[in-house]
Amino acid sequence: MRNILLLMLVTFLFNCNETIETKKEYKNQIGDTSFNPNLDNPKFKFCDSTKVLHNRSRISYTGGERALESELLKRFKFKPEYKSFNGYFIIRFAVNCKNETGRFRMQILDSNFSLTECPKELEEHILAITKELKHWNHAVLEGKDYDCYRFISIKLINGKVQKS
Amino acid sequence: MKKVILITFIVNITFSFAQTNCFIYPEGSGERKACELSYKAIEHKQGSRESQILFDSAIAIGPKFAWAYYEKSVPYFKRGFLYEGLQILNKAIELEPIEYLCYRAYWYWQYKNYELCIQDLETYYALPKAYIQFTPGGEKDMRIILALAYAKTGNYKKGVEIINSCLNSYESDSDAGLSDYYSLGIIHFHNKEYNKATEAFIKQLEVNGNMADTYYFLGLAYKNLSNIEEAKIQFNKALSKFEDINRNLNINAGYKAYLSDVVKEIESLKY
Repeated sequence: MRNILLLMLVTFLFNCNETIETKKEYKNQIGDTSFNPNLDNPKFKFCDSTKVLHNRSRISYTGGERALESELLKRFKFKPEYKSFNGYFIIRFAVNCKNETGRFRMQILDSNFSLTECPKELEEHILAITKELKHWNHAVLEGKDYDCYRFISIKLINGKVQKS
Repeated sequence: MKKVILITFIVNITFSFAQTNCFIYPEGSGERKACELSYKAIEHKQGSRESQILFDSAIAIGPKFAWAYYEKSVPYFKRGFLYEGLQILNKAIELEPIEYLCYRAYWYWQYKNYELCIQDLETYYALPKAYIQFTPGGEKDMRIILALAYAKTGNYKKGVEIINSCLNSYESDSDAGLSDYYSLGIIHFHNKEYNKATEAFIKQLEVNGNMADTYYFLGLAYKNLSNIEEAKIQFNKALSKFEDINRNLNINAGYKAYLSDVVKEIESLKY
């Protein structure tokens, strides 16, 4: 009897573990970004929050990636305290159907793509210059205008933004 | 070229079928159940909650079924969650490096980490059963990506060596990829070998003349060889090609031309 109870307990614990494993919380789509009053500009609105695309290639930048990169390079102001940083900033954001941007989220990775940190000022500067990019062209699909998410990746070596 | 497209198609089909044939796993096994659940997962929209939950269930039941990790990771990479994508894909690579190393290398390339891209591809090609793999869109042999990654780190010599060995492995020139000779030319060009660059770009035009980039860089190579008349001709061809909406966009080029570059060159050579 004791063995049966033990077996039942083990089975129960195993099932619990499996349930926990399979019940992670997911948004409707990977990358859906809810409004966060501490991070987001309340003026940024989706034109239709029920149909936001996740297809980065649908959003273009006037003048192409070259123009995007030169604007970032032009705006980036190097400071000696950034010099020790080598890594990547991956910034996700949304472009609504009016070509406005919002819902910026940033991940900082080192040269091996592990999570890392950098001087707070550098982090804020990178985010600020990304938010200053204004020549986005929203997603258009089958003649209709859409809100859409995309991301950019900025590589820094010795604290300086690298050209592609 | 037709052969390459056919091979790409067959490789992709073989790959997909191999990964989704659940019957190769014993009935009732974890892998079989994981495979069936992954099959259900891909019926849902990529990156959707439903698909992710099904992949999680698949992984919980058959933790050794690599394809579930791979498929689960894809939307993370495409949507800028590089770190999260890697945590998932790394498990697929631990289980089946031969199938998934190239995919990780591709994302390393996309996110401009050329050192890690080289590391993965060198590991892959050193595997005894390494086979020809392409970028997910099928436009480039991963050996070309390896060559371009070397070029991006400044090792042009190694880049040229790899592309030449890739081109030499084809039975005939018609087997070359849509932009292989462009890749060769662009590496020569950045290494200031303008004669060799010109040769490769001309070859590229014979294989596929539908990319504006080729004309632009051929023009630049001529300009560097002081052949200004020929440079002007090529820049104007590049300009026309940019106006052609059916041109090849030269995806994963590594080094691209922009309309503004062409206009600038034409203006500078006007007088």
